[in-house]
Amino acid sequence: MKQRGRGIACMWYPIGFTVDANPSAATVKVNEDGTATVLTGTVETGQGSLTVLGQIAAEALGIATDDVHVVSADTDSTPMDTGAIASRTTYVTGNAIWLAAEAAKAILFETAAPMLGVKVSQLEAKDRKIQVKNYPQRNVSIGQVAHRSQVILGQPAIGSASWNPPTVAMDPETGQGKPFATYVYATQIAEVDVDDETGEVEILRIAAAHDCGTAINPMLVEGQVEGGISMGVGMALQEEMLFDANGRHINPNLTNYIMPTSLDMPEITVDIVQGFDPTGPFGAKGVGEPTAVPTAAAVLNAIHDAVGVRVTSLPATAEKVLAAIKAKRATEQKQIPA
Amino acid sequence: MNEHSRILEREKLDIAETLRDADLRLPAVAPREPFPIEPLTPDARQQTRAVGQRATRPDGRLHGLGQTKYIDDLSFPGMLYARIKRAGIACARIKRIDTSAAEAMPGVMAVLTGKEIPTNTFGPTFQDQPVLVDDHVFHAGDGVAAVAAVTEQIANEALDKIVVEYEPLPAVLDPVAAMREDSPKVHAPDSNIYATKVIRKGDVEKGFAASDHIFEGHFSTQMIEHVSLEPHAAIADWDANGRLTIYATIGRITLARADMARTLKMPMSRIRIVGTIVGGNFGGKNEITQEPALALLSKKTGRPVKGVYTRGEEFTSTTTRHPIIMDYKTGVAKNGRIVARQIRLVLDGGAYCSWSATTLGKACILSPGPYKIDNVLAEAFVVYTNKTMTGAMRGFGAPQVCFAYESHMDDIAKALKMDPLEIRLLNAFDESSPSPTGQVLHSVVVKETLRKAADRFGWEPRS
Amino acid sequence: MTDVTMTVNGQTRSASVPPETTLLQLLRDQFHLTGAKLGCDVGDCGACTVIVDGQAVNSCLMLAGQADGREILTVEGLASRDRLHAIQQCFENNGALQCGFCGPGVLMSAKALLDENLNPTTQEIRDALSGNLCRCTGYTKMIEAVHDAARLLREDSPAKLTHARPEVTAP
Repeated sequence: MKQRGRGIACMWYPIGFTVDANPSAATVKVNEDGTATVLTGTVETGQGSLTVLGQIAAEALGIATDDVHVVSADTDSTPMDTGAIASRTTYVTGNAIWLAAEAAKAILFETAAPMLGVKVSQLEAKDRKIQVKNYPQRNVSIGQVAHRSQVILGQPAIGSASWNPPTVAMDPETGQGKPFATYVYATQIAEVDVDDETGEVEILRIAAAHDCGTAINPMLVEGQVEGGISMGVGMALQEEMLFDANGRHINPNLTNYIMPTSLDMPEITVDIVQGFDPTGPFGAKGVGEPTAVPTAAAVLNAIHDAVGVRVTSLPATAEKVLAAIKAKRATEQKQIPA
Repeated sequence: MNEHSRILEREKLDIAETLRDADLRLPAVAPREPFPIEPLTPDARQQTRAVGQRATRPDGRLHGLGQTKYIDDLSFPGMLYARIKRAGIACARIKRIDTSAAEAMPGVMAVLTGKEIPTNTFGPTFQDQPVLVDDHVFHAGDGVAAVAAVTEQIANEALDKIVVEYEPLPAVLDPVAAMREDSPKVHAPDSNIYATKVIRKGDVEKGFAASDHIFEGHFSTQMIEHVSLEPHAAIADWDANGRLTIYATIGRITLARADMARTLKMPMSRIRIVGTIVGGNFGGKNEITQEPALALLSKKTGRPVKGVYTRGEEFTSTTTRHPIIMDYKTGVAKNGRIVARQIRLVLDGGAYCSWSATTLGKACILSPGPYKIDNVLAEAFVVYTNKTMTGAMRGFGAPQVCFAYESHMDDIAKALKMDPLEIRLLNAFDESSPSPTGQVLHSVVVKETLRKAADRFGWEPRS
Repeated sequence: MTDVTMTVNGQTRSASVPPETTLLQLLRDQFHLTGAKLGCDVGDCGACTVIVDGQAVNSCLMLAGQADGREILTVEGLASRDRLHAIQQCFENNGALQCGFCGPGVLMSAKALLDENLNPTTQEIRDALSGNLCRCTGYTKMIEAVHDAARLLREDSPAKLTHARPEVTAP
């Protein structure tokens, strides 16, 4: 018989390295037509970081995502980056790119101010124009400014910057300190059906509410949540590397290392909770790892709710769940007076 | 249709119009008349408020066309294929490696052993991992020798011809057993406990004494593999100026360059690392693996050398997620407020440190959960075992401890007959709450996520 | 050596290869169609999926010789000179591919499904993709994309997509 249950798990997760310096450097070059090129030493590993970093540069320069080309991952031609790790790319590399874009923009403003007859501090970059704040009718296209700057005045609009999250080392005895510059928070709630005759668990749906600061690209944030949940599902119910008594691998293959297929995934709803962080680029924090954190807990809590058994070791395979159900029944039967 | 599908429809380009005349089963050949190619640029990428846009990915388009070049899709003239012989034994001393039969095989251009590597150690925290073993095997997936041949098939056959004589040594596979003084030492003579972390805030003993109820829980998690669809891969090539180029799936090319400079004893200006588009990382591709060996094989043969791990090697010879054994003891007041929490974590640290120190630190800091707790004692240990090295994997210990602290929380809620949502809202961080390390937290929205998820799920308290 | 001749993406291609060469190796190494990927080489992951005589197959499990005389469609054959295939367009719009490595295989499984069934249910889509492992996306946006593509193809030219398929003995 199938028993239904629901389980909550909430979590917190840090952005960046633990205390240690993990800087990112970036260069933003505004081309003579007002489009831009970004140089970053990070590596695109599938999460869409290059797109997000391009959006950050575009926002800073007042141009569109499509006007920015991001060049990455070559130690000869891109500046250093501590790497795509610890969910740090949007926050740390993003901040470096934002600062570099601001530096390039400052050169454009120096050129544009006399063109528009105002001071540099009165300018803003918006809609592919450099315009006067609160009087946008007075503007000049960013392409014109970039061209004049580089070709006429001999001042190409190139900005470079680096950024490192501010931390405080942890005391070796008490661990007290500020190991990370910021954290993200999330909750996932799972609904499951547990077959109390086989121990099989079917995850029906998961409601995920995730904080990532400002969502630079909500579609990519959803993709991270859904992908993270799939890892969480595997961790909860299926995956395990097994060794024999001699330390040799028993299942070093995808036939016997079970991981989620399209058939194992629940319906997922994703809500992005806005947790604007003033220390991040346009308020953004990060999202890559946190999405895989609470899933197993939510699923195991749902199993507990469904059949009243607490499985304390992962993965909660059908065998383990069934054994726990049987053990619980045995205990209950012993308690029923004869 | 959920909310997100509705949003998508509003922003979408009207595809039906553009596809009206297309016979979609045409092969990809150029038609006779030239006509302009208009890049199909969806609206979101054209908006000048760029932040917040559901912008499509230009690399996503190339993925969908099959045009993205991953390392295994690249080839260079004269390129050779490398394979690495794996130990297949968890702990042993190597008495003898005889590569002569392999070297004599037609089509085998070079063979390499650990002795030929200038600095045969690496590691992001402790440099305890060899590129290819010297005289000691620490886990069954260790590499004992590498070959480069004109085809992958010949390279595979050459591995069988390499003769290795092992003296098996007692292996330790269980981290708790490995903590005992009398356990075999994985990296003798050092203790198997290779890193520890403590977080101490307030006074847990006083906290427990002041609690109305005390709960304990014991939890454990398994060793997990990243299973990126793309296996680890790299190509090494030199130019006539002694400059090395490595195309690699590594996510941290700055660190990779430093590691290559160190293992090969070369200046950094002579090393170029190119990170291609990587087919999945999740933490498993954040340090060098075979790259120094490929570089030396390329130097020996004067030809580019490509190495691609098999799916089996992805399991046996790349980093994995730490199994963690977790003990929790929590003191709560009658109303469900957490007064004190004591935690003990034992991480299975595998054969080499890799990213274990980072995982240890994060797991320890995160282990009390996102809750306001005045009295915390968290102690964590990472222990060597003769199993696959455990390293960085999405979450660095967070999924494991979250499983523990959230299961524990539900057990407490059940015992106190409290709704699981209510007990969390009662205890969760607020803006400016202090963390277990005393940090004043900002941009805290854990309660907002609880309420939002509950609302979306339809979580009603049960009577 | 085995001599093979087949139609790949509408063009006749030939090669002379050792008999143990798989269709995957033939496509990648001989025909330079590197879309199909080597993920496991034993048919577990689906990254090598291509369409042979209308059926999605793991090309790592098929010998080049077994593909002799057949009609092969790979991801490189989906788009025309100036237009993405509806499936590719919908995958792009939905952000359904992340690292992209499993993408060509998933797209071919989706194509094979939509060739048979232009009105698939979510469960039918899940079933069609069940042989393609993806570690990045959780499959969610892929399923949405296939629904979108099916809708577009139904509106576009429902009559054009009937196609008689011969029996295929490939795995």
